[in-house]
Amino acid sequence: MYTESTLLLGVLLTPLISAVVIALFLRKQGDIAAYLSCFSALAIACLSIQLFSIIPTGQEIYITIFKDYFQMGTFSFDLGFLINPDTLTLLFVVSFVGFWIHIFSLGYMRTDDGKARYFGGLSVFMFSMLGIVIADNLIMIFIFWELVGFSSYALISHYFKTEKAANASKKAFIVNRVGDLGFLIGIVITYWQFGTSNLLELQSIIGLEPSSTNWIIAALLMCGFIGKSAQFPLHVWLPDAMAGPTPVSALIHAATMVAAGIFFLIRIEFLFTPDVLNVIAWMGTLMAAYGGLCAITQSDIKKILAYSTLSQLGYMAAAFGLGYPGLALFHLATHAFFKGLLFLGSASVIHGCHHEQDIFKMGGLAKKMPFTTATFAIGIAALAGVNYLSGYYSKDSILVAAYAEHTMIFWILMGSALVTAFYMGRLFWIAFFGSPKSKNAKNAKESPFVMILPLLVLSILALFGGKVAMWPENLSMSFLSDYRLINGLSDSVLEDAYHQGHTLLKSIGTLAWIFGILGSLFFYGLGSKNDNLGIRMPSLFRFLDSKLLIDEFYLWYVKKVQQKLADFIHLMDLLLIGGLCVRGTAGFIGLLGYISRALHTGSIGAYVFWFASGLLLFWAYAIGIFS
Amino acid sequence: MKNVDLLLPLSIIIPALAGIFILLSKKESQGFWKSFTYIGFGFPLFSAIVLYSQFDETIHYNFKMKFLTGLEDFGITLHLGLNGISMPLFLMAGIVGFASGIYALQAKAERIRLYLFLLLIMQSGLMGVFSSIDIFFFYFFHEFALIPTFVMIGIWGGVGSRSTAMEMAIYLTLGALASLVGLLVIYTNSGMINHSFDFIALSHHLSNTPLETVLQQNIYGILLFGFGILVSLFPFHSWAPKSYSAAPTAAAMLHAGVLKKFGLYGIIQLISPLLTEGAAHWATILGWLALGNIVVIGLATISQTDLKQMVSYSSVMHMGYAFLGIASLNSIGTGGAVMLMFGHGLSVALLFLLTTCIYHRTDTFDMADMGGLASKAPVLSAFFITATMAGIGLPGFANFWGEFAVFIGIWGNESIQWMLYPAALGIVISAIYGLRAVAKVFYGQPSVNFQKHMEANTVRDLTTSEKIPALILIFSLLLAGFYPGFVSNLINRDIDGFKPDTIVEGIEQPATSVYLSHMESKNGQ
Repeated sequence: MYTESTLLLGVLLTPLISAVVIALFLRKQGDIAAYLSCFSALAIACLSIQLFSIIPTGQEIYITIFKDYFQMGTFSFDLGFLINPDTLTLLFVVSFVGFWIHIFSLGYMRTDDGKARYFGGLSVFMFSMLGIVIADNLIMIFIFWELVGFSSYALISHYFKTEKAANASKKAFIVNRVGDLGFLIGIVITYWQFGTSNLLELQSIIGLEPSSTNWIIAALLMCGFIGKSAQFPLHVWLPDAMAGPTPVSALIHAATMVAAGIFFLIRIEFLFTPDVLNVIAWMGTLMAAYGGLCAITQSDIKKILAYSTLSQLGYMAAAFGLGYPGLALFHLATHAFFKGLLFLGSASVIHGCHHEQDIFKMGGLAKKMPFTTATFAIGIAALAGVNYLSGYYSKDSILVAAYAEHTMIFWILMGSALVTAFYMGRLFWIAFFGSPKSKNAKNAKESPFVMILPLLVLSILALFGGKVAMWPENLSMSFLSDYRLINGLSDSVLEDAYHQGHTLLKSIGTLAWIFGILGSLFFYGLGSKNDNLGIRMPSLFRFLDSKLLIDEFYLWYVKKVQQKLADFIHLMDLLLIGGLCVRGTAGFIGLLGYISRALHTGSIGAYVFWFASGLLLFWAYAIGIFS
Repeated sequence: MKNVDLLLPLSIIIPALAGIFILLSKKESQGFWKSFTYIGFGFPLFSAIVLYSQFDETIHYNFKMKFLTGLEDFGITLHLGLNGISMPLFLMAGIVGFASGIYALQAKAERIRLYLFLLLIMQSGLMGVFSSIDIFFFYFFHEFALIPTFVMIGIWGGVGSRSTAMEMAIYLTLGALASLVGLLVIYTNSGMINHSFDFIALSHHLSNTPLETVLQQNIYGILLFGFGILVSLFPFHSWAPKSYSAAPTAAAMLHAGVLKKFGLYGIIQLISPLLTEGAAHWATILGWLALGNIVVIGLATISQTDLKQMVSYSSVMHMGYAFLGIASLNSIGTGGAVMLMFGHGLSVALLFLLTTCIYHRTDTFDMADMGGLASKAPVLSAFFITATMAGIGLPGFANFWGEFAVFIGIWGNESIQWMLYPAALGIVISAIYGLRAVAKVFYGQPSVNFQKHMEANTVRDLTTSEKIPALILIFSLLLAGFYPGFVSNLINRDIDGFKPDTIVEGIEQPATSVYLSHMESKNGQ
């Protein structure tokens, strides 16, 4: 136990120390800051590997490291770590993918002014993200949850001089806070209902009394997931978050942070009720379709990938909602590999094309950036679910599970798989083939080795990461049972039910990606200048491009409702409370003073008059006129 | 009496003496009055840190001292001491005082010696407020600290500050008078043979023979009104934004940060334990008003275009959480309120300080006339973002623990349970105005006016003398954020009544434990 807690503390504190040192001493030494941050990422990766090697397969370890960390009255909570195969899997993904993205950033951010700020931000992110992964109670998760939100905010606003980054960072944080609002209330109610926020204790309480869960708590906690994993209706922040540096998009807005929402669901699976699970399954399914359809009309390479992330997160949510958290986690891991790869590939493209992000202004990159193109192709193939690549195994399992559980969901997810292949094919054919369409694309050059190496490493993972046998057993434990069940490898009674449709489904899946990729080739052609969908079917294009006007709705709400309401309330505050009540009272008293002052005119006549009136009143009272 | 106990009266006397020396000094002898400023503000901080480290967890009131005042016939003695609730606030007063003092020193106000004198008088009063066990002196020190605020706004405030100072003076005096009336009614009706203002004696007496229910309710109502005005409880808040915008920075830091907590401190430390029935009676109404602070003032904050006004409004808004904590009637929420007072004092002082730093660079408080400041002043921008994040309750800062405990506490009181939902909306509202301000001031491109201003003046990053007070505040916020036990252990010890292992102190058995058990039976019903 002693070594595990040391290792875990090492994993958690290394990035924090790196961030503190950068903030205090290395603000102006960007290079040293960058190396320090990369070194800390390497240290995390090594410590994690050490941790995998000493933790026996399938063991659940919990360590309390700080008893009564915060105590107030009857409320108290401890800091502690809970390690199970799920944790190890995510720890591996975060530390390993994170490390390679750090290395990639060395090249991508080489000439950036705010290098120290950037790498400091990455270290803060690693600290907060790893905190979520190993935390053993809801409150601790919430704390790190907010901190990843903050580091995401800080990194999105890296190019703060642009209006776009300024707005996007603000939007990301506020939208996330809307989700956290529900999360927070959920934690409070959970605490009062079960008397604890510790995950293991909650699990054992619910294990003894399954009826003690209720949908309100589950739905409130789900809000946290909706915000962080950018699900409907809080998905609007993620495409905007692409205003940040691209490696950040790879790390935070594709591979790890947005997936933290899924991990959180898996962590608290026992708290969910069937109806809430059903909601999550449908929400995920619709997001899988919605994200894919939105991606079709985008021309910004990063936005295409962002909507694709939304769609893939939808797959994970659907898997979870259908009752297969293992598959959600499996897809989370493979998605981290190939989406990390794709984002880094797009970063390499953007870097090579002098910050050109419009795919219609690229073209012909395959000749100029062969390594990037090859690895990008692997990423696309994995995402599209080309047979025997990583995405194939994880997405295919989800599709089989959907087929077994809910036909409607299955068909929507299958359709989305086709769409996925289509929009990725479109991106690939337009940006990498044909002739260069702008000066930037013409002058494109291959990225340096420090950026190519991470691409190569991640493409190996994207190629083979789906082979369960490749995984160390104490990691794959987390999804193995669900995976075996689905793929007919277990001895379960259910096996047949899954197995029947399996061969057929595999063929449908294969057809889907072939149709998608070839269809986009025929529809768009190589290196096309214009969006053919916009030309051939303008109304369909406009409809898809409107993205159901959700962004416009929020904009309208913020500008016309929230702001107007705020202004109105401010006005009322000034007029009614500050004016009428406070000033009014003061005015009333002032008026009394004014009147009584007016009585003291100083002329004898007036005093005589008042004296006489007083006398008259007294007399009237005395004879009883008033009674 | 130990020697360390002397630090408590000295931390009240030394700032006042230093202030007088400064006033009497010559303008030319800069070294002289500067060093006295450091002594006057440094000593309270020093003694607060020493006293914190010497605090004995097994004794109820630490560092107790009594001074005869000649008013013993009225039951008034200068009785000083610190318990677990006042110790963190005493420390906070020391920190904020020191930060505002050294900030004031470099601010180069006109008539600087008078300015420093008034500020030191405030500081002296503040240290007295949190260390008085005697209710009379608790009140006295508050007035002592309050009056310099009016004067400072009147003299150093901007245009139209005279009338603002006047309005604030009248309004706050009304609040103070109402609380005085309430306190006097407790004093006269306590039923003690020798009437006393001594809180320990009073609480001992009243816990055995509480006041009549109706009387308790009435007194609590009056006090809530009085203290409510002083803490800017909705709808008695309208003085606050105006006054803070007009107040010179150091005064705003001390008033919004520390002095304003007087009312909350009074309710939590003194009034609620003495008037348990009254507290229960008013809880729901208080909860409603607190929601007014959070939601109504929160929305009004969104509407602000003036940076300093926005900070002022946001400070009013956050008082709502503290009041909700009190309305929760349990130790979690009430303790959370104290924790929040600690964090809020630091964070709002920091925000006022940085707001003025921004003003010195942009020459305006209007956020529309700023923009893009981060490229010129990266440290200032990092500090301001830190302060904003602290203010909106990001984990890692003291405020988070306060707000969080308040949220937990609210759900513990069934009659106001539902208020958790609208109250939690505050975390979104505060994020909206906080981040909007950051984006408007620091991000994007400079506005036309700011561009012109930059061409005419060189805009520099924070100077060292601006950085140091800010760093002190940030460090304290982070310390209590990463290690909440630093503050919460003390609060927790006393919030549901100090329970000595052996009842040595006999007579000082506090009313708070009775208060809590009473509340628990009430909540149980």
